[in-house]
Amino acid sequence: MVYTSQKIANWYFSIALFLFVLQVIMGLWLISNYVFTIPQEVVNVFPFATARAMHTNLLVLWMLLAFMGGTYFIVPMETESEIWSPNLAWFQLIALVVTGVVALVGFAFGWTKGRPLLEIPPPLNYMVVVGALVFLFNVGMTMFKARRWTVIQGTLLGGLVFLALLYLAGIPFYRNEVIDWYYWWWVIHLWVEGAWELVTGAIMAFILMRLTGVDRQVVEKWLYVEIGLFMFTGIAGTGHHYYWIGAPKYWLWVGGIFSALEPLPILLMVIDTMNHVRHRHAQIVNPHTWTIAMGCAVFHMIGAGVWGFAHTLPQVNYYTHGSQVTVSHGHLAFFGAYALLNLLVFYFAMPQLKGIEIYKPTRAKLGFWTMCSAMMLMGLTFGIAGVLQSYLERVLGMGYMTAQSYMRLWMGVTLVLGVFFLGGVLITVCDLLSPKAATERLD
Amino acid sequence: MTKKIAFWIFLLGTLSSAVLFLGLTVDTHRQVAALSHADKLSENVVAGKRAFEKYNCNDCHTILGFGGYYAPDLTKVVQRVGEDGIRYRVKHPELAFANSVRKMPQQHVSEVEIESLVAFFNWVGEIDNGDWPPQDSKKRLSRSEQRLSLGATVSPGAAVFQTKGCMNCHSLHGVGGTFGPVLDTIGRTLTSEQIEQYILNPKSVNPNAKMPPQNGLSDRERDEVAKFLGNLK
Ligand code: HEM
Ligand code: HEM
Ligand SMILES: [Fe+2]
Repeated sequence: MVYTSQKIANWYFSIALFLFVLQVIMGLWLISNYVFTIPQEVVNVFPFATARAMHTNLLVLWMLLAFMGGTYFIVPMETESEIWSPNLAWFQLIALVVTGVVALVGFAFGWTKGRPLLEIPPPLNYMVVVGALVFLFNVGMTMFKARRWTVIQGTLLGGLVFLALLYLAGIPFYRNEVIDWYYWWWVIHLWVEGAWELVTGAIMAFILMRLTGVDRQVVEKWLYVEIGLFMFTGIAGTGHHYYWIGAPKYWLWVGGIFSALEPLPILLMVIDTMNHVRHRHAQIVNPHTWTIAMGCAVFHMIGAGVWGFAHTLPQVNYYTHGSQVTVSHGHLAFFGAYALLNLLVFYFAMPQLKGIEIYKPTRAKLGFWTMCSAMMLMGLTFGIAGVLQSYLERVLGMGYMTAQSYMRLWMGVTLVLGVFFLGGVLITVCDLLSPKAATERLD
Repeated sequence: MTKKIAFWIFLLGTLSSAVLFLGLTVDTHRQVAALSHADKLSENVVAGKRAFEKYNCNDCHTILGFGGYYAPDLTKVVQRVGEDGIRYRVKHPELAFANSVRKMPQQHVSEVEIESLVAFFNWVGEIDNGDWPPQDSKKRLSRSEQRLSLGATVSPGAAVFQTKGCMNCHSLHGVGGTFGPVLDTIGRTLTSEQIEQYILNPKSVNPNAKMPPQNGLSDRERDEVAKFLGNLK
């Protein structure tokens, strides 16, 4: 580490890790609601709906903080200059964390916008917008003053601006439920299958370049192709959410065809990662960091590419839409693509920020493999529950709760797996917050 | 491939998809008015939407398939449980779900809000959304219904059972309501004659019965449905 202002990233990362732990604990509570009968008195004061809002908003909050921290870490190295204003970076972190805490406490007291995943009410939405504007301004000024433009910087900034703009679509109250969902997906889909993929592409390219010493020209050329394919398939691919909302029928074609192509750029990213590592010029000092990079690419492909493709065609989606199949995909994709990406950034940056060049990977490995196997199995158990639901409820026409009774066993197994997952998370978080330097040379 | 070509792939890929998407967005806005019957989108319906959001219903129930998956989809809820069924469940969830393994919170929703919610669900149920969800489709028969209706050609009683409201409360082979007992094997406990008596006046067979007398059935219909149920052993 060369630039002192990069240090701020460590705070973003640490807070993100704390929120990640809270998110997973909420997840365990949610799944318990599926396995046990929660008494009416408890349900009255803390319903499933409130806990779900917390689980998902914690997710979004920690990931956005991690992206921002990652940006504050990467931009100085890319521009070879200090962050324009470290004070603004501080201000923005505090503003966002306070907004997040107020939002979470508010949910507990029933203060909500009541839109799934976008429950944060309007006054707080504006706080988020202010935080985002300050962030973009700070990052933009840093790049502008340095004037050392690179494709990685451009992609990162472009992705972040796109991300911020899309957030605006989720703020207004729409009178028509159909239009409401139409724009809801501008936030949700165009985030995870658009803007966030740009950010991911840029971060992956940066880390791979640093890790392997592969020529920037090669990395950036493939970055262009990747993000081009992401945008081409992802933007019109939004249509795969417009099949059953009361939008025109052509979305079945547009959504089906474009979204079926969405796995291509993800596959390209996997091939790219493997190629860069094969043709590396530098010795990889921390092999575990590269394991995470590879794991991220592969898990991204499984969760988003394979699982996404599995239910994206209208013929399948008619039966699986809004079932536990969706939950299975949501978990595998978010974890594989974005949780692992952020963990990659953490393992790349946090030991360095604490002055550790080569870290001892024992706990890191244990945490990583526990999380990955537990989540993969959770994806399968949610998936089995989802296939049962699609068949029993939608094909056979069983009543909703009757079908659920056949799924309960699998939700129970998910709960057990979730406990292991939390264990993996805790090991990882401890390791990241106090990384140990390797004592003997690795080979 | 050079970096320059890669750049053009990026630019053209992004622009072509964005132009298509924005163009279709404009067209969608034009068509949604008709597809969603926007002319019937009254202030009361909008008030119902606001209540739906105020109580965060959507984080347990899906609507149009989106939201939490903890409770049944509400797109066609009026068709499935009726307006009164909605009122009862929202007003007294602790009673409606007393025997359920999953509870719904008592949120003290006001009478006015409940009426708006009913209006909102009525409006949502009419959206032309490609006949989703399959389990509530009127055009297609579920596998279980197909199996039942095969029986209906032999037994008119089955047809009565399905079309005269029995299934609002009772279920057969997992299809139907959950307020009343499952009738899959009712013939083991009651004879056809007892069932006929029960339909006429439940309390005369079981003094604690909560089921209302089914006066809407003709003698023939009552006779057929009792015979049909009496044979379910
Ligand atoms: C990393 C990228 C991705 C993430 C994080 C992600 C996440 C999610 C989440 C959370 C949902 C559920 C939203 C809700 O209704 O509450 C969802 C739905 C969906 N996703 Fe993805 N996804 C990703 C990529 C993909 C890809 C590449 C495809 C297709 C090839 C895809 C196909 C779908 C489909 C079809 C649905 C709708 C499910 C339904 O009808 O209920 N996703 N995704
Ligand atoms: C112990 C671990 C976890 C458990 C037991 C768990 C459980 C759950 C449950 C029960 C739901 C509600 C689904 C419903 O509405 O019925 C949910 C939603 C969700 N969780 Fe988790 N979760 C865990 C960890 C995670 C992690 C690590 C992530 C992301 C990296 C995540 C992302 C999500 C998302 C995106 C949703 C919304 C899904 C949708 O709308 O389709 N969860 N989770
Ligand atoms: Fe999507």
